[in-house]
Amino acid sequence: MGGGFRVLHLVRPFLSFLPEVQTADRKVPFREKVIYTVISLFIFLVCSQLPLYGIHSTTGADPFYWMRVILASNRGTVMELGITPIVTSGLVMQLLAGSKIIEVDNNVREDRALLNGAQKLLGILIAVGEAVAYVLSGMYGSVGQLGVGNAILIIIQLCFAGIIVICLDELLQKGYGLGSGISLFIATNICETIIWKAFSPTTINSGRGAEFEGAVIALFHLLITRTDKVRALREAFYRQNLPNVTNLLATVLIFLIVIYFQGFRVVLPVRSKNARGQQGSYPIKLFYTSNMPIILQSALVSNLYFISQLLHRKYSGNFLVNLLGKWKDSEYGGGHSIPVGGIAYYITAPSSLADMAANPFHALFYLVFMLSACALFSKTWIEVSGSSARDVAKQLKEQQMVMPGHRESNLQKELNRYIPTAAAFGGICIGALTVLADFMGAIGSGTGILLAVTIIYQYFETFEKERASELGFFGF
Amino acid sequence: MARGASQSQSTASATTTRPGVVAPRGSAAATAGMRRRRLGGGGSTGNSSVGAGGGTGGSNMLRFYTDDAPGLKISPTVVLVMSLCFIGFVTALHVFGKLYRYKSGGSA
Repeated sequence: MGGGFRVLHLVRPFLSFLPEVQTADRKVPFREKVIYTVISLFIFLVCSQLPLYGIHSTTGADPFYWMRVILASNRGTVMELGITPIVTSGLVMQLLAGSKIIEVDNNVREDRALLNGAQKLLGILIAVGEAVAYVLSGMYGSVGQLGVGNAILIIIQLCFAGIIVICLDELLQKGYGLGSGISLFIATNICETIIWKAFSPTTINSGRGAEFEGAVIALFHLLITRTDKVRALREAFYRQNLPNVTNLLATVLIFLIVIYFQGFRVVLPVRSKNARGQQGSYPIKLFYTSNMPIILQSALVSNLYFISQLLHRKYSGNFLVNLLGKWKDSEYGGGHSIPVGGIAYYITAPSSLADMAANPFHALFYLVFMLSACALFSKTWIEVSGSSARDVAKQLKEQQMVMPGHRESNLQKELNRYIPTAAAFGGICIGALTVLADFMGAIGSGTGILLAVTIIYQYFETFEKERASELGFFGF
Repeated sequence: MARGASQSQSTASATTTRPGVVAPRGSAAATAGMRRRRLGGGGSTGNSSVGAGGGTGGSNMLRFYTDDAPGLKISPTVVLVMSLCFIGFVTALHVFGKLYRYKSGGSA
């Protein structure tokens, strides 16, 4: 243990208070897993529709507008914080542990327990802090308007929702459910947005009479009501302020491209050292780091947006603040601002192809930024998360697997030929697809779509694996 | 505190005795055997399908909690019931809030 003071040990007194889901002591059958997953999802969906009690208004600027998609949060509802607490605490702890700022010895059971405890504690603390900040900053009306009692009730509701999300995520990960809670919630939220944008029956008065918000419904509505069918068709495909059919088609196209690329992989043959004749394969996917680069990239960008917006509101004259980003209220309402200058503008996707043609430098800068950020994050992530060539080589060695035709010591070198390349190139591909989706105006932003597709694909894989293992079990 | 201390002691003794048992294989192999990867194949789920599907890269990188920690143990059913109770509680707040406002509005 080495003695001495360690930051991790500060967590120990709190360990006994942290809620902790029991580990499954038996193998949970597939059916039961599905049921647990569905119930958790149901709870999440209800929570993200249930309005908070005691709030006065949710109008006014929404500084978190850009983060909502990836953080599965809904304004003015119990899920206001969404998965922010878990994701933030998880990323912070993994980065701290990965960069050796806190020392964690993964071999020691107690250390792992402490790290998990620290993550959970940090998550709860972040939830409390954010809830207090939200209420005090007057997101729901000033404290005087709300009354102290209501303010405290709001904070309690938000905190408890945060704890519930943490518990649900843990429940799903501990083997009672499929996949992880976080990805399940993100994917659900994005899919909900897409479906809503396609079929939403709400009407919006846009000057030319009432129009439906949903793209598909609007298409039929316009085709039936307008006399000039060609104009109606053009309107349905190209209307600017509401989701149109082109957006929907772009979304479907991106979906298909990502699914197609998911199948790209290099399969390395491995052979067991002990059991003779037992052949296996170790696939290295093109999307080696999956959706991690865009999660990190969007976390970075949304934090930058948040800081820049706050600064711009307070000190809009300052040169440095303007360099970071200039903001303007969106023309189409919705209570969010859009960047119009500074760094924040150049790392935002151009809103349309016409905009791209008007500002080619902006488009180019955005492209370069996305690609390099994704590649960089992807390469860093394999080191941090323990899936670099060295770690994989060690893992294979633990399982007594060797590559035929190579010596055991060569394993890492052989893996090193593929893994960093796959990570960097995969990151670039993910970045490029995100840019493509943004340029084509896919619904729910490029980042959102890519996240949703990769998560759904992962679920599909787990599903198949579970089914296969179940079948194998019955086959005995 | 005492619990944590005894636990660390027991793990320490385990690591010291282990190389003695499997001495010729070297301590590296022993620790490697003990090592359970936090991020790799979901340790506690029990489906240790080694080899082929061992670490398919990014499939489970968002796994944050996989190991046991000494804490307030609750069963999965309790979690679900707790969340449902919370939803019920907030709904009840809304209902009571409406009733209260209606009443106070009527009397005033």
